[in-house]
Order: sequence, then structure tokens, then C-alpha cells
Amino acid sequence: MADTIVVVVEQREGKLNRVSWETITAGQAIAAATGWTLEAAVVGAAAAAPEVAAKKVAKVYAIESSKLNPYTPDVFAAALKQFLSSKQPKLVLMPHTYQVRDFVPKLATAMGRTVISDCIGFKHEGGKLLFTRQMFQGKLAADVSFSSDAPWFATFQSGAFRGDKAEAGAGAAPVETVNIDISDSVIRNKPQEVFKEAKQAVDLTQAEVIVAVGRGIKEQKNIEIAKQLAEALGGDLAASRPICDSGWLPMDRQIGSSGQTVAPKLYLALGISGAIQHIVGMKGSRTIIAVNKDSEAPIFEIADYAIVGNLFDIVPPLIEEVRKAKG
Amino acid sequence: MIVFRRPIEGVERPQMPADVVIVGGGPAGMACALRLAQLIDAHNNAHPDAQLSKENIYVLEKAREVGQHCLSGALLDPRAIAELLPDFKKDAPLDAEVIKEAVYFFTEKSKFKFPITPPFLRDHGNYVISLNKFVKWMGSKVEEAGITIFTGFAGSELLYDGDRVTGVRTDDKGVDREGHQKSNFEPGYDLQAKVVVLAEGPRGSLTKQLVQKFDLAKNANPQTYGVGIKELWEVPAGRIAAGEVIYTMGWPLTTREYGGAWIYGSKDNVVSLGFVTGLDYQDPRLDPQRVLQQFKKHPFVVKLLEGGKMIRYGAKSMPYGGWWAIPPVAGDGWMLIGDTAGFLNSARLKGIHLAIKSGMLAAETAFHALIKEDSSAATLGDFQKKVEASWIKEELWKYRNLHQGFEHGMLAGMLHTGLQMITGGRGLRNRYTGVAGYERMKKLSQLPADGGAEAHLLGPAKGDGKLTFDKLTDLYHSGTKHEEDQPAHLVIHDTNVCNARCVKEYGSPCQNFCPANVYEMVDDSSQPNGKRISLNPSNCVHCKTCDIQDPYQIITWVPPEGGGGPNYDGM
Repeated sequence: MADTIVVVVEQREGKLNRVSWETITAGQAIAAATGWTLEAAVVGAAAAAPEVAAKKVAKVYAIESSKLNPYTPDVFAAALKQFLSSKQPKLVLMPHTYQVRDFVPKLATAMGRTVISDCIGFKHEGGKLLFTRQMFQGKLAADVSFSSDAPWFATFQSGAFRGDKAEAGAGAAPVETVNIDISDSVIRNKPQEVFKEAKQAVDLTQAEVIVAVGRGIKEQKNIEIAKQLAEALGGDLAASRPICDSGWLPMDRQIGSSGQTVAPKLYLALGISGAIQHIVGMKGSRTIIAVNKDSEAPIFEIADYAIVGNLFDIVPPLIEEVRKAKG
Repeated sequence: MIVFRRPIEGVERPQMPADVVIVGGGPAGMACALRLAQLIDAHNNAHPDAQLSKENIYVLEKAREVGQHCLSGALLDPRAIAELLPDFKKDAPLDAEVIKEAVYFFTEKSKFKFPITPPFLRDHGNYVISLNKFVKWMGSKVEEAGITIFTGFAGSELLYDGDRVTGVRTDDKGVDREGHQKSNFEPGYDLQAKVVVLAEGPRGSLTKQLVQKFDLAKNANPQTYGVGIKELWEVPAGRIAAGEVIYTMGWPLTTREYGGAWIYGSKDNVVSLGFVTGLDYQDPRLDPQRVLQQFKKHPFVVKLLEGGKMIRYGAKSMPYGGWWAIPPVAGDGWMLIGDTAGFLNSARLKGIHLAIKSGMLAAETAFHALIKEDSSAATLGDFQKKVEASWIKEELWKYRNLHQGFEHGMLAGMLHTGLQMITGGRGLRNRYTGVAGYERMKKLSQLPADGGAEAHLLGPAKGDGKLTFDKLTDLYHSGTKHEEDQPAHLVIHDTNVCNARCVKEYGSPCQNFCPANVYEMVDDSSQPNGKRISLNPSNCVHCKTCDIQDPYQIITWVPPEGGGGPNYDGM
């Protein structure tokens, strides 16, 4: 049997999250490089299978059991262990989400395997498959490979691949339902109601456009213009650390080594000098526009577009222009 | 309003009985734990009917992992570890044996080599180590010996019964910036211990509470300190041999400051270099992190580092005061070991061996206390006697007056040092007294506005991003991380002093002496001088410099939520 790759996607209410699509793209790329067969698995949500089957995959497994809903790490690990033990794929890919982080260590340990987690890419060199991971807080990238027997487990970081680049298949791939029997005795978790911790927590990692403000904004009331720009662009507002430390914006909007790591399509940095602590949180952005008075500001070293000037002169007309352009 | 950390009141705390609690998992604390385990094992073998348990001996370590807050040069004098673990060479992480040493006097553009290396700086037989790796290794031995290390837990308060220390309270977890309990709140434990051993490193926070409560320092010289700013570099092959040791004196410091640099060649082309600046300088604008950056601009250092890469940064204070600055080291229920007591030889720039030895001696005393079931001052006082009868005192006695001799500048200091060397450490009198370093700081009005001869040491370093770095970039390389949503652990007892007085009188030296950008004066038009103190506690690298060097002595460093702090891999 040819070697296969199985991408285990994650869904909520039948909808795949962005990182899952990204992981499918990663799987397609690895399949193209290695010649292995790419398959996908949807756990406990057959409804999501057709959407996945429309992509270029050889097959989609809908893993079913009444015990898979609601999610518990015990059931997920047990179900996937059964499924993977019978399928024996070469490689299992998953998105590096909170849920995966919750169950994949248990799953891998139960199967006597290791996980290369939070990868940002892969290489296929001389017949060897290497996965790239960040070390020393992103300062170094290390290529790692598996020395153990298959199945190999790897998870990909959010933003490592582009979800919109997942290739569609020629026709719908077949969907095979796999029924898994799980005994009650493995379930030690009892999930309660799902709730949201913060009142209105923002998930900046999902944002496509981010307008971020730094010290250059001077006063809390000036944040309003950044907010207007974000609204005009249909993006989210974020900040560097001093702004959140001053309480001008909530801490969940902080970008950087002590905040969130983001990789939007567009990152607009207003009055942010670009200390390394901030840069590590946003350097993966596709396009970076920086506005700063100081032409020596380190942010300009990574900006695609550098605007040297006072943000209070530049932002208001920019808002006007964006609004005009958007009609 | 900044809310400062203090133990939450009115909560019920889990109680835990303990035989011995060691606060701090550095070389002293680990040696103490390990020696105690050895003594108990030997006792249990000899007395099958009177077994002692190791189960209730705990080491508290505020770092997330063992060794991650340990920073030193470091050179290891193997004397103590050879006593503790005679086989240490088999598996201890010793990076290189010292093969060559040199002492230079720097001027701005040039250098002079000391024709002979002073005896106290001769390092043959010593090893270049990473204290971080070495303590990790010691920690693994402690755990193998069956003693529990609680990583991620700090000691926040001592527990007392009258004048007796009866235990340690650990840090509260899950408290937000305003001091309120979060959903993950967990109150600190009360560890009720028969013996408390404080091994907190320089300027320990529990030690400070203890010394103040009992006025323990009343007959000792004030402790004086230096702050070591360290960078770890990877340099092109051939620049320095593994095991090559270089000390420098002089530039960039002037004759008014005490301090010097170390450069140690480790294996794999890694170089440990750092600069120790005495925390008794006069100009409040002096910035120790800048001193190191300036030092790296010397042609000799440029040649060493050029084309290399800085891989790690950190800072730590060290006690310089010597024998006369050590307070009583034992009392009712407690003992002090390692740097927190002041066991450091400032002439040799070494303290790890003294930390280990003092930990071993304290373990012997604690063991007897457990056997006798008595940990009163009468029993634990034996530790004091053991120290005085051991080679710790023998070694420190020779240098008992060294640092005090430098109080009037480098030239007088060298004269005193020479004199002390030929009189067995005595010099002009048996005991030189001293003053606390912060008292020597001058007000801005007494200093030249342009900085005078010290101008190149004042204010923030700018950094070229290759050889020299600004503070934030350096700080990034310390790997420091804290839970952000917690009260400030740099307790300023009166921020009005910062905003109304200090900014005018001293120009807010906290911004300069802190090597981690924790302190910042921000614009605030409602304040008398237009500036207000603002804190970035999560930058803190736990060096304690602020607690030591603040001229008004209104800053108290207390441990933040356990687990936070620097990440000193390989330091």
C-alpha cells in the first residue's frame, strides 16, 4: 500500500476553522513533494465532510460515534487511535489549535509516537521529510525529522500556509463513514456548558487586516482615529505593549512576545517603533505598512511600505480615501 | 494607580507540614538538599530501626524549570563540589578546564597586560561552566536522591511564632493587576517547617524581611553589591580558546567606579562576557547595561566579537561586601546560605564553591536538628560555628577588607589591596568599615551637566544591532516572560518620592540602573514635575539591582507569580 497522509481537520458546528484549511494546503504540498496519497478525516461531524471532499484529496473519512459530541480529549484520542491504528497512515497532520494541543499529546503517547508540533513549514530533501519549527522565541528555525516508525504526527502553526490556496479536486472525493465504538470507561471528562471567558475577546489571529497603534498615538483619546481607520478597512484594532499597559486598550489586543502572534494580510503599524518584542508578534504579516516620525525606527526594516511622518497628518486623509474607494 | 503585590488577606490557605524547606534552587540550595539526602541515606542504612524520611524536605524554586534563573560568569572552583560529589567529573556539565588566564588594564584605545596574574585571579584547576546547566544537573541529582523540588513556587513570606521562624508561605497564583482574585486563583501554601533554609541568592526577599525584623545586620558592615551584565556570544572559530580566561580593569570605567569585565572562552566557540559594575557609583545617570555596550567597543573586544552573534543576555547582582558584611547566618528555625548570606569572594569573583560549601554545612546542621528534634537557635547556631571553622572563613578572611579599600577610588584601592595581600588581608587595620553603595550616589546638582569624565557611561545605550544593543533588544535575549495580569512585584513604598523628589534630585536613576527597562518615567501633566513613575514588571530579570541601588531605599523587590522571570538557557 502506498504511503498516505491523513489531515485531521477541526470543525465547530460543521464549519472548518481557517487553520484546518491551511493544514489541507500543507498536506497537498507534502503529497505533491513526496508522491504520497492525501486523505482527510473529519471527527464527529459528517456534515463537514462534503466541503472537505471538494478539495483535492483522495478520500475523506467521517469518523462517527455518538460519544464524540461534545468534545472530550479522552474520546477524541481513543477514536483517533482506533482509526489510525487500522489505517496505518505514514503521516498525520493537524492544525495547531487549542483543541489539538489538548488531545494530540495523549493520542501520540497512547500510540507510542511523538509529535512535531507547531511547525511553520516542511522540506523534502533527498527523500527525507523535514519539518521546520521555531526555536528561541522565533529567533532560530530548526529542521526536524522523524526517526520513529509511522504514523508520524505533526501540527502546523496558524498562518504557516494559505488556506485559500487549498486546491479543489476534479470531482468530489469519496466520503467513507468510519464508525468507532468507544466504551464509556475511557471517558473521564465531563464537559460543562461552553462559555466565553472574556466579555468580548477578540481573536486577532483570525483577522485579515490589523491596524496597530503604539506610543506615537500619545493620548488615549487619539486611539479613536486608529479605530476609525480599522473600521474603514474592515479590520481589527491592536496595539503594542505600552498602550495595553496603560490600559488604553484591553490586553487581548496586544501584539508581540507577551501578547498575540498574528499574520494578517495587511498590518498597519501607527506610531510603533518596532522593538524586537513587537516585531516577533507580527513579522509574518503579508504586507506591512508603517507610519512613524522617526526615519530610524526599526519597524521600517521590516515594513513593505514606510511612511515617515506624523500619523496625525497621515491617518485622517487615509481614512477619507479608504472610505471614498470603498464607496 | 499601580497596585503592588502582597499576599492576599482573608483566604484560607492549604497547610503543609515539612521537615526542611529550602527557599531557592541555586547552587547553595541544591547542595543543601543533596547533602541532606546523603546524610539521611547514610543514617537509614546504619539505623534500620530509626528511619528518617526525605519525603518532607522541599526545595522552592521560583523559576518554571530548575536553573532557569541562574546566571553567573561562570568559573567553578571545584573544591566544594568535589567534597559533595567526588565523582562529579563523570557527568557534571563542565564546559572547559581553564588553560590560560590574563588580566588587562584597559584605556580607551589600548591595553596593558599585567605582567603577573595576581594570585587570586589564577584559575588553573577551575572550570568554565554555565551555571544554568550546572544547577540543572545538580537539580537532577537532588530529584534522584528523592527530594522534591517545587518549581514555579516562590517564597512570599516567612511564618513566625513569636521570634521563631516556623515556615514559609508560597506565592499566590491567579491574582490580577488590581489585586483581585482571578478565576484561576490559588492561594499560596503555608509550609510549616521545622527548619527553613534561605538560599535565595543576592538580596533575597525573605532574607531582607528576616534581617529587618531582627535587625540582624546591626553588627555587620552594610552589604555592598555589584551588578553583572552578561551576554553570551557565538564567535567565529579561532578567536578564543575553550578554557581561556581574561579579566579587564579600567576603561570604560573611570577611577571613580569599581568594577571590571570577564571574558571566558567556552566550548563550541561560545564566549561568556560581562561587566560587573559596583553598585556604589556616584553618578545616578550611569547605566550598567550601557557600560557593557561601551566595553564591547574597545578594539580588543571588537576583534574578539566581530562577525559573531549575541545569543543570550542577563543580569544579576552579587554581594561584594565580604566577611564583615555577613550577618549572623543561623537563628531560631532558620539558616542563611550562599549569596543571600554574602558568601562570595569578590577578589576571586567566585561564589559558587562557597554557596555549595555553605549549603553542605547547613545540611549537616539541619540533619542534627532532625535527629535531635530540636531546631532552636541553640542547635542551628552550630551552623555559624561550622562556617567559622571551615575553609569558607579561611578563604574570605584573607579578603575581608578588599572592597572597603576601594571606597576612595581605584588607586587607593589598589594600594590597599597590595598592603592587604602582604598582611594576610589585614591592611591598615583588622576591620575596615564601609557604607552602603547607594549612599554614595550624588545629586544631579553636584555633578557636571554634561557628565564630565563619565559622559560615555550615562543614559541609555543606542546600539548598532550587531556589536552593541539597546536595552530592549538585549532584554529580548533574556527570554523573560511573566504572567502579565498580576500586581507589580516591584513594591515602591511611596511613589510620591519618585514623582515629586527623585525626578528632580537624581533624575530617576531607576531608569538607568535597571538592566531590563522595568522603570519608566512617563509624561503626566498632573504631576508636579510633569513625569510619573510607570512600571513594566514583566520585563524584570530578577537581578535585585533596584532594591539595592535606589537612593531613597523605597523599592522592595518581591517575587512575582512563580514561574515568571528570565529564561537563562546556557547562562
